[in-house]
Amino acid sequence: MILVWIALAPLLGGLLYGAERMLRARMQRRQGPPLLQPFYDMFKLLDKRTLIIHAPHALLALAHFAVLWFSIAAIFLGWNLLYIIFLHLFAQILLILAGYSVRSPYSHIGSNRELLMVVAYEPVLILVAVGLYLVSGSFEISEILKTGGYLMQLPLLFAALLMIVPIKVKKSPFDIGEAHQEIVGGIEVEYSGVFYEFLYMSRFLEYLFIYSFVYLFGGESHWVGAVLVAGVFLLVNLVDNATARVRPAQMVKIIYTVAMALAVLNLAGVLL
Amino acid sequence: MKFFTPFRKKSPWVLHYNAGSCNGCDIEILASLAPKYDLERFGVINTGNPKQSDIFLVTGPVTYRSRERLVELYSQIPEPKVVVAVGSCTATGGVFRGMYNVEDGIDRYIPVDVYVPGCAASPQLIIDALVKGLEVLEAKSKEIEKPFKLFGAIETIHNKLSRLNMATKVEPHEKD
Repeated sequence: MILVWIALAPLLGGLLYGAERMLRARMQRRQGPPLLQPFYDMFKLLDKRTLIIHAPHALLALAHFAVLWFSIAAIFLGWNLLYIIFLHLFAQILLILAGYSVRSPYSHIGSNRELLMVVAYEPVLILVAVGLYLVSGSFEISEILKTGGYLMQLPLLFAALLMIVPIKVKKSPFDIGEAHQEIVGGIEVEYSGVFYEFLYMSRFLEYLFIYSFVYLFGGESHWVGAVLVAGVFLLVNLVDNATARVRPAQMVKIIYTVAMALAVLNLAGVLL
Repeated sequence: MKFFTPFRKKSPWVLHYNAGSCNGCDIEILASLAPKYDLERFGVINTGNPKQSDIFLVTGPVTYRSRERLVELYSQIPEPKVVVAVGSCTATGGVFRGMYNVEDGIDRYIPVDVYVPGCAASPQLIIDALVKGLEVLEAKSKEIEKPFKLFGAIETIHNKLSRLNMATKVEPHEKD
């Protein structure tokens, strides 16, 4: 059963992405694309000719997608949270290498920014894992989901997590890695056809990855987790529609001063 | 593949290029992408990246400076692709026709599938043209489409098709 869910993970993420595009359209009072639009895009990309720069560049996108899928599988199987975070970091590094492996300056800038994003959100993600460990006594997701009351004990840590969700799903104000108006998509600029599709689908998996962290704060109650995910989903899209992009340096500064301070404060409170 | 062909018209991604336009048509294109006319309901995304686009929206009579980029961008779009000429200038040269520094429309350089008249073309017309372009897109094969002018040879490097010299620069072309 769980294997079926793992196999369906990209579809699940695609539905989430489609729902998000609908929601954003409704927030701007327009009709917007249909729910299945991401899948139409995927099928269309299969029908396009593919331009390949060089083989490693194309294969790194594939590897990025595969490793990301594996880390999602690890989440569904309830493995160690730290292991999952570092697996995800490995997937990001593959993507960054892909960005550096071509000569396009946009791709290089995209890679630089992706590195900055990793630098910004990774410590907070690890602090979230540590916080969940301090309350539940285990890094295993299956153990974490057996106890509850995370939200009562870790409210500031949850706020810190809330701040890094837009970085991960590439939404304003922290969508510096993609930034279509400035760097034409950053790392994905040289991809086309089938290999762009892997990057497009890995975006769906990123959604699942970060929202499953939000879900963990629900603990043993599935309802609390689902409500948290829905609330964060709405909030992130609202903020995305209402704010402009910050500069890369500003983003790191904001995350390091505000989110890190919140997380450390909360951890200190739990420990003392 | 035959199965995926119907999905072409479900998600046309657009590349918008200004070949020396007065910005009138560009503003209308942006207006049709914005919430009021909402092209995104057809699945349109303004990618800004030729390698991921299906529909090439060009505005402006092609100026001497912009023609290299026009052909370059056109040859970077993977097939199947559709070119929509937005505005009178792009179709015929418009009020700039016959001037020393313009090329009287893009169809001297690249094959055009849909022409949109108007100065500036209205958002309703642009939407109609895009929908018309989708029919053309669905009927097209994946054969390589070449620009009319300024292109070098389509060649193979290591047994693979290369677009490296598909759009060569103006200077070496005019010397020989």
